[in-house]
Amino acid sequence: MMGSQAMADEALLWVIRTRDPDFTDWEAFTLWLERDARHAGAYDAMMARDAGLDALVPPAISPPPLPANDAGAPRRRWGWIAGGAIAAGLVATLSLGLFNRTDIYTVATRPGETRIVALEEGTRVEMNGATTMRFDRKDARFAALDGGEAVFTVRHDARDPFRVTVGNAVFEDAGTVFNIVRERASTRIGVSEGEVVYNPQGEAISLKAGRALIEDASGLHLMAVDTRSIASWRDGRLVYANAPVAQIAQDIARSLDVRLTTTPGARAQRFTGTIRIDRDPVRFFRDAAPLLGLSAHRDGNGWVLKEGDGTVG
Amino acid sequence: MATGLSAIFLHNRPALLRFLRARGAGDEAEDLLQDIWIKLEAKDLGPVADPLPYLYRIANNLMLDRYRSSVRRARREEDWATGAGGVMADPMEASAIDERLIMTQSLEEAQAALRALGPRVAHVFRRFRLEGVGQKNIAEELGVSLTTVEKDLQKAYRALTGLKQKLDTE
Repeated sequence: MMGSQAMADEALLWVIRTRDPDFTDWEAFTLWLERDARHAGAYDAMMARDAGLDALVPPAISPPPLPANDAGAPRRRWGWIAGGAIAAGLVATLSLGLFNRTDIYTVATRPGETRIVALEEGTRVEMNGATTMRFDRKDARFAALDGGEAVFTVRHDARDPFRVTVGNAVFEDAGTVFNIVRERASTRIGVSEGEVVYNPQGEAISLKAGRALIEDASGLHLMAVDTRSIASWRDGRLVYANAPVAQIAQDIARSLDVRLTTTPGARAQRFTGTIRIDRDPVRFFRDAAPLLGLSAHRDGNGWVLKEGDGTVG
Repeated sequence: MATGLSAIFLHNRPALLRFLRARGAGDEAEDLLQDIWIKLEAKDLGPVADPLPYLYRIANNLMLDRYRSSVRRARREEDWATGAGGVMADPMEASAIDERLIMTQSLEEAQAALRALGPRVAHVFRRFRLEGVGQKNIAEELGVSLTTVEKDLQKAYRALTGLKQKLDTE
């Protein structure tokens, strides 16, 4: 009988192999699965550990090592897979779209920059700052939010629903305006009109206007939200009801072109109210810091929010 | 569905069924295969370069998705039972803030763990897991053997999944 460590090692090897975009030897994989009834479970468990590793690994900090011999410049044609591989957290509905990838293109905004992408008559995506998305030239009913925030205004068609892929989750419209925020470890969606279905193939949770859903490491959370607060960034305002400063700081960093950090003490606080967005950081923090009950200070070429009495400087 | 794909689907039905059963689908293997068929028919895929591996991949993804859903469901039911989670009136509990602190910490730990394995291992892992580049291409880029790339990936995976497990149980 095989030891559990040996089985885990083999399962890991199969995770690596099957994750390879060029993997073809599914028959060998089948044979391995058949050899021991516990293999499937070991593979699933290892895949579950694999999920989210991309969130754990920081972006490259050093340039890649040089080739050991003259293998030529690194190939660029794989660039389009980059986001896809992360999303290839392997939802069946998503994987149907994994081929023909030359039709997939990426749109990204800088912090403070917003952009509207019209996909077809009646369907548009408004991207907030610091946001990366993928679209499909051949399929106007597909969008993937890889990071950041966007509002979706969608022409409803029950026979051909509009789907947004966010990490491993899929949101499917049922006649809708909705806002999605994707941060490293969490996804937040708020529905301001109509209805959205979360993971139609799985949990199939229906979200009506005024409902919100958060998916993070602790699981799924459903709640009520004020529809006026959803996607208020489009009107140059950020509207909150008892929101943690940690979340507000992320929203500010997307809306202003500043690097913003917060102290643990500041992050632990909450805020209810409206903050007006001003692209000028000095003016912005002069108004916002007293509202938040925090103080804002310059920190190198960025800003830091900390506990305090509203002083700015 | 592309006609070539449906022919290949039908021809390889027994093999795909066998795969789904081995993958843990049990009695539901037939139904799952039927679901895949319906989904493929509903979607105009255009020509698919390598249809059979593609079909296997869809089947495998479906099983992974089911596994994830069942884990989530179990976790939710547990949350309900302990009264800790489920539907909450408040968007973010304090735990979300702790989560973020832990995240910053674990990022640093992950970085250190990767750094300890050397720059090539870290590069290979990023290229493979974050950028989705195949092992063969990575081997060509770096001028090393395929075995080296696979070994590098195993090392990185062991270190990071070990770290993740440690963080999850803390």
